[in-house]
Amino acid sequence: MNKSLFWRGVAIAAVIVIAALSAWPLEENIKLGLDLRGGIHLILQVETQDAIRSESDKDLDRLVAELVGNGLTEASGERTRDDAFVVRGVPAGSDDKVREAVDTYLAGWSWNRSGADIRFNMTAANSNEIKNLSVVQAVETIRNRIDAFGVAEPVIQREGERRIVVQLPGVDDPQRVKALIGRAAFLEFRIVDYPVRAAAPSSVEELLAIGRDSVTGQGYGGRLPDHLEVKSQILRDEADIEIGRLYYAVEKRSAITGRDLRSARPGLGDFNQPVVNFYLTHEGGQKFGEVTGANIDKGLAIVLDGNIVSAPSINSRINDSGIIEGSFTQQEVEDLSTVLRSGALPAGITYLGDTTVGPSLGQESIERGFRAGLLGLGLVVVIMLIYYKLSGVNAVVALALNIVVIFGSLAYFGATLTLPGIAGIVLIIGMAVDANVLVFERIREELRRGRTVKSSIEAGFSKALSTILDANITTLIAALFLFQFGTGPIRGFAVTLSIGILASLFTAIFVSRWIFDLLLTRRRKVDRISI
Amino acid sequence: MQFFRDTHFDFMRYRRFWFIVSMVVLVASFVYVATGNRLNLGIDFSGGTQLTVKFAEAPDVDVIRELMVAGGFDDASIQRFGDTGDNAVIIKTPLTEDLDEGSRAQVESVLSGHFKDASGKLDVNLQGVQSLADELFALDPDQLRALDETQAAQHYQGIAAAVGDVKRDVGLLTSWDQVSSLAVVTPEVAAALEGSAVMGPFTVLGGGHVGPQIGEELRSQGLWAVVLALVGMLAYIWMRFELRYGVGAVVAVGHDVFITLALFTVAGLEFNLTTIAAFLTLVGYSVNDSVVVFDRVRENLRQNRKGSLLEVMNQSLNQTLARTVMTSGTTLVVVGAILLRGGDVLRGFAFILTIGVVVGTYSSIYIASPFALLWERWFGAEARSRRRTA
Repeated sequence: MNKSLFWRGVAIAAVIVIAALSAWPLEENIKLGLDLRGGIHLILQVETQDAIRSESDKDLDRLVAELVGNGLTEASGERTRDDAFVVRGVPAGSDDKVREAVDTYLAGWSWNRSGADIRFNMTAANSNEIKNLSVVQAVETIRNRIDAFGVAEPVIQREGERRIVVQLPGVDDPQRVKALIGRAAFLEFRIVDYPVRAAAPSSVEELLAIGRDSVTGQGYGGRLPDHLEVKSQILRDEADIEIGRLYYAVEKRSAITGRDLRSARPGLGDFNQPVVNFYLTHEGGQKFGEVTGANIDKGLAIVLDGNIVSAPSINSRINDSGIIEGSFTQQEVEDLSTVLRSGALPAGITYLGDTTVGPSLGQESIERGFRAGLLGLGLVVVIMLIYYKLSGVNAVVALALNIVVIFGSLAYFGATLTLPGIAGIVLIIGMAVDANVLVFERIREELRRGRTVKSSIEAGFSKALSTILDANITTLIAALFLFQFGTGPIRGFAVTLSIGILASLFTAIFVSRWIFDLLLTRRRKVDRISI
Repeated sequence: MQFFRDTHFDFMRYRRFWFIVSMVVLVASFVYVATGNRLNLGIDFSGGTQLTVKFAEAPDVDVIRELMVAGGFDDASIQRFGDTGDNAVIIKTPLTEDLDEGSRAQVESVLSGHFKDASGKLDVNLQGVQSLADELFALDPDQLRALDETQAAQHYQGIAAAVGDVKRDVGLLTSWDQVSSLAVVTPEVAAALEGSAVMGPFTVLGGGHVGPQIGEELRSQGLWAVVLALVGMLAYIWMRFELRYGVGAVVAVGHDVFITLALFTVAGLEFNLTTIAAFLTLVGYSVNDSVVVFDRVRENLRQNRKGSLLEVMNQSLNQTLARTVMTSGTTLVVVGAILLRGGDVLRGFAFILTIGVVVGTYSSIYIASPFALLWERWFGAEARSRRRTA
């Protein structure tokens, strides 16, 4: 055996061994796409304008509080746009107080006086940073919430300016996941002004008519004082259908919010009903202790995302922990604890699209895909053997190696196998033969022209080479564009197709040639080959 | 065994005839696809919500359609999925103004309203493994929570996962025996489940929602992918051969794509992202085929300086005939296998490739080559010199 033959053989063997070791056992080493494994794929958009708006509100409140605290008691303001507000009641001579407040607290704003008003505009840099941070924070919050679901290998990635892609393999309850992820989870505790240790009225009109101020004792007379607002509690029956509402007059200011929570955990209440145990931070606990201590006997409304969950009466001062109870199921309590622990979302989330593949659909797809593949493979093998006789064996061996290399490459590069990908592999089986066919037909032609066996084989390979390359490269170009413009399953297909083409080029050009050469060296003179 | 050993078919003789036939078919295909809303667009491109629902008993498509209309979904489309024994349908609802997160919940509740008794209990066929684990944890039939809550949680997670595996294998749970026969399920757990959970009459195998933004993006991406791939191939062939061959190949590909698309539309198969992938593969394959012929033409032109382009083309077509038949044959066999045995999801894909291989082979002979010939006649070196001297 000459040197070239030997080393080529070694190279081929090395590739085969590496491929085989990477790929087997198949179940462990091949990454399956969601369409085969089952799972959920979500595309979310973070409504960054919400974050801008709430920052503006916060900064406006802070500025007005500062100005009032510094003696400008007439100062007031209102937001004019998401990223702009106007401040009134500041006399022209007091601009230096404004400047002081802005320099200390409002770095991201530019302002100018326009007559009696001062107009504030958020700087572009500040606005961009807020938007960017809100997306980053949203990704983190979502990641925390998904951790509670115990998903193996979740994918949570930012895509572009404000999109997030979430992939959860193996999860089969998309409604629950969407609710869990998208929940704003804005928690507030508010003191209830009316009713005090009594049943709440079931309509807004009734509340405004009979309600009265808990401090002064005076009736509302149809209109709530400025520091109060109406919040409702939704009552549901066992089948979770709304059967009525209760209305409370609560303070606009919250005693504590979700930010003051240290932790939240599901637990059991006095009657073994599912409740959420919450634990406050040190400062949160202090604030809460003061407020509850000063409002004993009044109700404490627990408001989640704008709705009252429950409004128990305050029996004594509460310092650092408490329970949230309502008519919760175990599942609701688990999810609520998760959501409170992970923190509120900085901005609203909209779902742009989602795909769910149930595990049984994925399983079936795998089975069917493989069965079709085996059938196709079997038929091709038969055809090659009949048509090309013993050289057909060469082609079949090349084909088998092709498959090994394809799976090995998939495993080695961590590429994902999707259902179209399986179809791609099956397709490659059909097309891979093409390279061999081109060579064999050429060899047959050269033999017919009267060349010797050895030179026919050489001529066959060399003349067919450029054709093989041209033809496969054009298919490769198609795969490239598919990869660029495709997502998910299509990308999987493009990758598998590309790997398949490269593998079949390798086996057809390199391996088939080597096998022929190997057979030729066995005899001094060969006058016939079975082709 | 050798077919086509030494053929001398005069392919080019009837080229005008076949060219005209092809053009007529092509125009007819184009008109058929472009007019009327015949193309069955998947939600990838049309937007909307899609659910694949499997029933315990054979579902009546008309009943389901009436339910959808009653539930406010006038434009819902209902198709069978899989084989008859699967008892599954695909329900598609278009985008609506108020439901921008999709209508899955609404459709599920419409179906539940009709097919289920209202009990409010956990439905193991509709709710996921995690919910089942939570419910078992709350019920604690094996009384493990008093000892160690974390271990209890894991224990019930394991049971729920095992039930999930059974559901994955059968698709839809139909009897409590399927659950109680599992090793991890103690009699207490089985009793607790039978008491507080139900096995609903249908399950959602899969689904998806595509909002307007994403739908728009996918549409334009899909279109760009095909257009740019064609341009890319044209450029490559021009680089390796000459412009006339590139043009010939592109015309042949366009021909293949439209005719296949027309037949695809007639068959009523769903046009979605996987379909675009199939078309791009078809494009690759068709060009592949034409390139093999052109390669031979180029080789023969070098050797045979006397012959006209027409003669050389004929010769090349004959020489590559064996290879063409063989490769098309094996590829056909393989995609045929996928078409017959590959299941519902891949059917559209396999259909496109099957038709595509046949039409593609034809077009390499009767579209690509004659067109290259025509181009050469009009714009080629000879024509240019004739015009100059004229």
